[in-house]
Amino acid sequence: MAEPLLRVENLNVTFTAYGRTRQVLRDVSFTVAAGERVALIGETGSGKSVTAKAIIGTLPKNGRITSGSIAIGGRDVLTMARGEREALKGTAFSLIMQDPLSSFNPVFKIGTHLDDVMRFADRRDGKVSSKADRNARIAAVLRRVQLADTERVMNAYPSELSGGMRQRVLIGLALLHQPRLLIADEPGTALDVTTQDEILNLINHLVAEEDMALLMITHNLGVVRKVADRVVVMHHGDIVETGPCTDILHRPSEEYTRSLLDAVPPLYGPRVTDLPQSGEPPIVRIERLNKIYGRRNGYHAVRDVTLALKAGEIFGLAGESGSGKTSVARMIMGLSRPTSGKLAIDAPDPGRGKRLTQIVYQNPGTSLNPKRTVKQTLTLPLKSIGMDAARRDARMRELLELVRLPQSYLAKYPHELSGGQKQRVAIARALAAEPKILILDEPTAALDVSVQKTVIELLMQLREELGLTYLMISHDLSLMRNFCSRIAIMLRGEIVEEGPTPEVFAGPRHPYTRALIAAIPVVTDEEERLKPTVTDEERMRFLVKTTD
Amino acid sequence: MQQHPLVAILTRLGTFVLVMIALSVMIFVLARVVPGDPARMALGPAATQEQVDALRLQMGLDQPLAVQYLDYVGKALHGDLGMSLVSQRPVTADLKQTAPATVELVLVSVIFMFLVAIPVGVITAHYRDRALDHIGRILSLTGVTIPSFLFAITLQLLAARGLPGWPIIGRIDHSLGWPGGPTGFLILDGLLAGRFDVALNALQHLALPAFALSMAGIGQITRITRSSMIENQRKDHVLTLQSFGVPERVIIFRYLLKLSSIAPLTIMGLEFASLIGNAFVIEMVFAWGGFASYGLQAILQKDLNAVTAVVLVAGLFFIVANLIVDVLISIIDPRLRRKEAR
Repeated sequence: MAEPLLRVENLNVTFTAYGRTRQVLRDVSFTVAAGERVALIGETGSGKSVTAKAIIGTLPKNGRITSGSIAIGGRDVLTMARGEREALKGTAFSLIMQDPLSSFNPVFKIGTHLDDVMRFADRRDGKVSSKADRNARIAAVLRRVQLADTERVMNAYPSELSGGMRQRVLIGLALLHQPRLLIADEPGTALDVTTQDEILNLINHLVAEEDMALLMITHNLGVVRKVADRVVVMHHGDIVETGPCTDILHRPSEEYTRSLLDAVPPLYGPRVTDLPQSGEPPIVRIERLNKIYGRRNGYHAVRDVTLALKAGEIFGLAGESGSGKTSVARMIMGLSRPTSGKLAIDAPDPGRGKRLTQIVYQNPGTSLNPKRTVKQTLTLPLKSIGMDAARRDARMRELLELVRLPQSYLAKYPHELSGGQKQRVAIARALAAEPKILILDEPTAALDVSVQKTVIELLMQLREELGLTYLMISHDLSLMRNFCSRIAIMLRGEIVEEGPTPEVFAGPRHPYTRALIAAIPVVTDEEERLKPTVTDEERMRFLVKTTD
Repeated sequence: MQQHPLVAILTRLGTFVLVMIALSVMIFVLARVVPGDPARMALGPAATQEQVDALRLQMGLDQPLAVQYLDYVGKALHGDLGMSLVSQRPVTADLKQTAPATVELVLVSVIFMFLVAIPVGVITAHYRDRALDHIGRILSLTGVTIPSFLFAITLQLLAARGLPGWPIIGRIDHSLGWPGGPTGFLILDGLLAGRFDVALNALQHLALPAFALSMAGIGQITRITRSSMIENQRKDHVLTLQSFGVPERVIIFRYLLKLSSIAPLTIMGLEFASLIGNAFVIEMVFAWGGFASYGLQAILQKDLNAVTAVVLVAGLFFIVANLIVDVLISIIDPRLRRKEAR
């Protein structure tokens, strides 16, 4: 058998922090053959990104490869001289980074980044190139990632391009020197689902056309199905299972892989959960709500939105970034004032200091103050409703029980908790002053799928126990399919479709809804078949253009 | 939404005018409500009450404050800032003579700050938590905590002992017979006239006071540059360039330095206020004869027109300096040139 393009053998990596050494990769071995597409999947802390960094040679200073080998084209890169290894960058392999905004220096033009990368790669090859020659080559690469107006792109600063365009430029950057292996670290994860779909299509197209190999690092099993021939599953620094994509997704042999697959909310098929419709009267009524930011030529964020939230239901407000869903939530919370329209909450006044609505934010890592213990975090809302110390303590015990955390956690700081535990604390904080309505702003977007599953289960139980009404804001339609009883889709400040969730998914009427559902990466072929279809003409009409 | 650059500049100039009006009202009122009769102080204890009353009438001090203010502004707009009671000359003439000395001192201090603070900041960031970084930290703290007059006196002593012949007071050797040039900045005038001996001599005189004046700022700006560099080093875009093999020195001196110069520049603008304040002390120590020394005399003798003029000129200098800093920052950072649509 021919030598594979990339061979990682018995790779062991340790990290040292505060004098303690931790092993983050244990005997990791896998191969990527020329032209093959391999996905490296795993949850946070599984070691998938560390593996990629070890291959590229950008491990942080406290990381060390203790044993093992990484061979590209049969040559071990770990024993190479520094200069020789540098020369491989961009030519033997290239990296596509995750976040297209932070991957560019904001005070330099896009063209400057591209030109510098090309200039120094040329110099390593011993070539001297003129600026005009480099510009022509860069323009050619940009056209390959479907950016037609290359002049404008190169003269733009990173903040002047859309997320999708920046991601395309990042891919272009990786292609500048015809690498044989493309390493992609969660590309498109920071983008909207429809944009992500286009980016994945582009990567697939390029890999096939240029006969490159692809090592895709992702936590999203739907993405895996779309872009990989073979899958390597990682867990806590070990490789759990390796196999062809269809086998892993349909017939996993390891327990861990199965649990990972089980935690992915299904979009269609028998595993889908339908929530009962609420027969209660509306608790929140919104009529022709408008929000315009800025005075003259203001930004019209919400346009004539009319909604009714029934008591006890889980209402989903779906849409991509900039669709106005968060603006609607903020107005319901009373955090911002509508420009026009009516907003009424139908519930008795809860009394001093208490609010009817509370919110759980997307990222508990930033919504909890890192300098305050769980107890201090929970004290604030309880104090504001005038509880004395003894009653506060009792209530805190109750709250921790509600969110299934042990009492000892009251003394912990956020950095001592996992992502899921932090989100539980955030939920406890939101529930502290007994609200009637909970706004969930992408409550699980920052969490792994297995953790997402437990948090969602907790939210379901809490709604049952406390008789809450939820308004969930999200762009994750597969999650909303299983968690919301009714759903509304927002596009550019307007609601384009609304109805009971099963009906909306069974027969989406608006082309934008269909495009949105069709773009979701799903795990099984059966789900893929059941997705609605969109014509190219409809796609053009409703989706944000990421080309130019 | 792109904001037209002209609109941006006009908006800035608008605020500029407002600040100047507010400042002038404040100093005008303050100077007149503090105790002590300026006319009596100008004429001395020997003058009769009739003489004092006559001077008060002549100065318009019997008028209501608002009338006095409008009168002052009206004249000021025509370039007349009144007579100095002490020097018995127009205030504008006094300022023309003294202001360039101070401006030259402050500007050279600023150049010192940048020449020292930015490289030291970059180096200490690069050698973070190693010996060089610790030395840099100690030096910065020393610069910030020790008052500038102490530096000034220490430098004078050291120079007098270690560098015989090095000038420790004044702006220039009078033996050179320099008649004065068009700008009043000795170094610039010397260079323009081709008198390099004058420029060099003025620079020697400037070195000690400018260094003493810039110490505090050097300490601050070094720290800001260092922390800004360290913060930006961790960003993804650095990793991107590294993973495509762009050399470390290019990443540091080109990409990181430009991004990390925004914070020190902002601080620099604010630093002008303490530079002007400290100049009052430094000028006394080095017998500098700038407008800070002039202002000090004016305050002690309650020379109303001179005090008002000195404060206004100092304010003008501060505002113009910050205007320049704002423009520089918006040239560096394209995000500031775009008005956010939200």
